[in-house]
Amino acid sequence: MSSAKSQLLTPTDLHDTLQAALIEVGENAYFVFVEPCDAGAFATLAEQERDKSSRPGWLMASVRFTGAFSGSVEIVLPERLGHWLVTSLLGMPPEEDLPETQMFDGVGEFANMVCGAWLSRVGDQALFELKMPAVTRMASEWNPVGEGRGREELMCRMVSLNDSPMRIRVRAQ
Amino acid sequence: MTRKKILLADDSATALTMERTLLSRSDYDVVVARDGREAIKQAVDENPDLIILDVVMPNMDGFEACRELRKLEPTRDIPVIMVTTRGEGHHVENGFEVGCNDYVTKPINGPELLSKVRNLIGE
Repeated sequence: MSSAKSQLLTPTDLHDTLQAALIEVGENAYFVFVEPCDAGAFATLAEQERDKSSRPGWLMASVRFTGAFSGSVEIVLPERLGHWLVTSLLGMPPEEDLPETQMFDGVGEFANMVCGAWLSRVGDQALFELKMPAVTRMASEWNPVGEGRGREELMCRMVSLNDSPMRIRVRAQ
Repeated sequence: MTRKKILLADDSATALTMERTLLSRSDYDVVVARDGREAIKQAVDENPDLIILDVVMPNMDGFEACRELRKLEPTRDIPVIMVTTRGEGHHVENGFEVGCNDYVTKPINGPELLSKVRNLIGE
């Protein structure tokens, strides 16, 4: 961890600030409660997701940032939740179909807001620049529960939104 | 009474839809652009009463677009609100340096944006 980053962050700060950012975005933009969950609860929600959705796939939205320190915020979520987030933000009926480009754009916007809200809490006066979000659909055999940490991971937070699982990882560059 | 016209520039279709809905419901006419270059062209062609510019856009970002708008005779006096993501606090300072009049942060707070719009161009 670079010296600039060390001065800004403690492990507790990381988790608290990310949780606060998720709550801020969830409640202000989507009017949804964000509940923390542990690995077991996340696995259960992920399993349930397979059964209850006609959209069983998962999406990953990633936003890179540079500045006082550099890295990325990665959010993985079921496609069903991504669909709900976008229709909710746009005031559309939840059952309305969305073109893939629109859903990816909206999920990227969600990740962008979370990343920005988190960075504003990490360093009071620190300077950051966010890159444009990238959203990809995970391969059908991808398992959200079994994925390893990766060496550059600073933290990982699991939450539920509307009883759907979401995992947020912050990686250092 | 003539409705006021607002130019929205953002590369995100989601952000554009959300902001357009908010402004249209408040009886503003809205035209859109998807990047900084298109924003300048639309500003010259449409002569809006106000421009809302996202900072992070492809081709030409919001700062550069604002700087260009201030150089052009037809657009130099049009008020500009910059939209920045929280965490990019320095964008506010940069925005004022290139001539923006105000700013809002994402996630956009509807009443706050409308208040700033009314403050600059009225109802």
